[in-house]
Amino acid sequence: MGAKILVLAATLGAAAIPVLAHHSFAAEYDDKKPIKFENVVVTKVDWTNPHARFYVDVKDEKGTVTNWNFELASPNVLKRNGWTKSTLKEGDRVSVLGSAAKDGAHLGHAQTVTLPDGKRVFAGSNTADGQ
Amino acid sequence: MTAAALAAALLLLQGPADSQAPGDAKAPAKGAIKGKGKGKGKARPTGPTPRLADGKVDFSGIWSGGGPVGDITPGVMPGEEISLTPWGKKIMDSHQSKDDPEANCLPTGIPRIAPYPWRILQTSTHIFYLFEGNIHSFRQIFIDGRKHLADPDPTWYGDSIGSWEGDTLVVDTIGFNDKFWFDFRGHPHSEQLHTIERITRPDLGTLDIETQIIDPTAYTKPFKIKFTAALRPGEELMEYICQENQQDAQHLQGPAGLP
Repeated sequence: MGAKILVLAATLGAAAIPVLAHHSFAAEYDDKKPIKFENVVVTKVDWTNPHARFYVDVKDEKGTVTNWNFELASPNVLKRNGWTKSTLKEGDRVSVLGSAAKDGAHLGHAQTVTLPDGKRVFAGSNTADGQ
Repeated sequence: MTAAALAAALLLLQGPADSQAPGDAKAPAKGAIKGKGKGKGKARPTGPTPRLADGKVDFSGIWSGGGPVGDITPGVMPGEEISLTPWGKKIMDSHQSKDDPEANCLPTGIPRIAPYPWRILQTSTHIFYLFEGNIHSFRQIFIDGRKHLADPDPTWYGDSIGSWEGDTLVVDTIGFNDKFWFDFRGHPHSEQLHTIERITRPDLGTLDIETQIIDPTAYTKPFKIKFTAALRPGEELMEYICQENQQDAQHLQGPAGLP
């Protein structure tokens, strides 16, 4: 089943997401263009610093598959928020809500991830004290 | 998902109500800042100021905040202002987000604080700041009465010597390099930078850091900022090696700006 891709209207862009990491969020991602990928397969997880990352295959309406790279908070912040290194695994089918990179790369900042069991987990950097 | 449902979901994703950075709070007049991390949503722990056996204030603990994370301007104290020299303005205007040393996994320098917890270790002769993040490094402050190095090499944290004025530790630092920025906005400095930090712990959970920035090359006059760090009881530092998988800097766009 192809992933459903929603590029959300800028009118919903009031969702200014408070994020502070080791880099400027606003310089890398556009919070006025939230993206949502539903039912996509995780192809790789990097439990690394400065950010944990996961990669998903996204199929568009023409059937073309693109691998997207999603930035999470740092592993330490995720752990402090209840994640473990196995919360997200290769092969998992997930849904992702986040913001896309400004430079057009297949890169996003994940805000929440809905796990295979339906649990939605906060994935990003929620406050200034530990991203 | 309908647009309405999505909008509602996004509203939920605004983040916790206490999302204001402790380091970015407009100290000191704002009053208590809520605790973060494991104490999220709770007030900073309260209690008497801890002291060492010799009676000196003990700053030890795990802290978050205490300096500008993304923007130095909210910390500017009443009556103070940031006034760039033409040279300072030229340097600041030239800064591009992709070149932020912190984004490139280099140290914050002073007074910037990374958005990660950090620990103070204190003896009668030394104070160490152990930084979890950005980078997984340390800063040292000599409080054994020594003088500054006669000709310090330019470094990220400089040559710091501290002395006591009552319960206030006064930390004088010179010998900085000119490589770090004060914030995401790219506030600059030169190797002439001289900082004087006045550090107090008015109670168990609060660390106030008032910093005077003196750099006649970059700023027409000295200015003072104040930020407050919050104690994170029960927390431990964790490993954070920023260089491990840095993929951000090459995607950062445009001039240095707000977080």
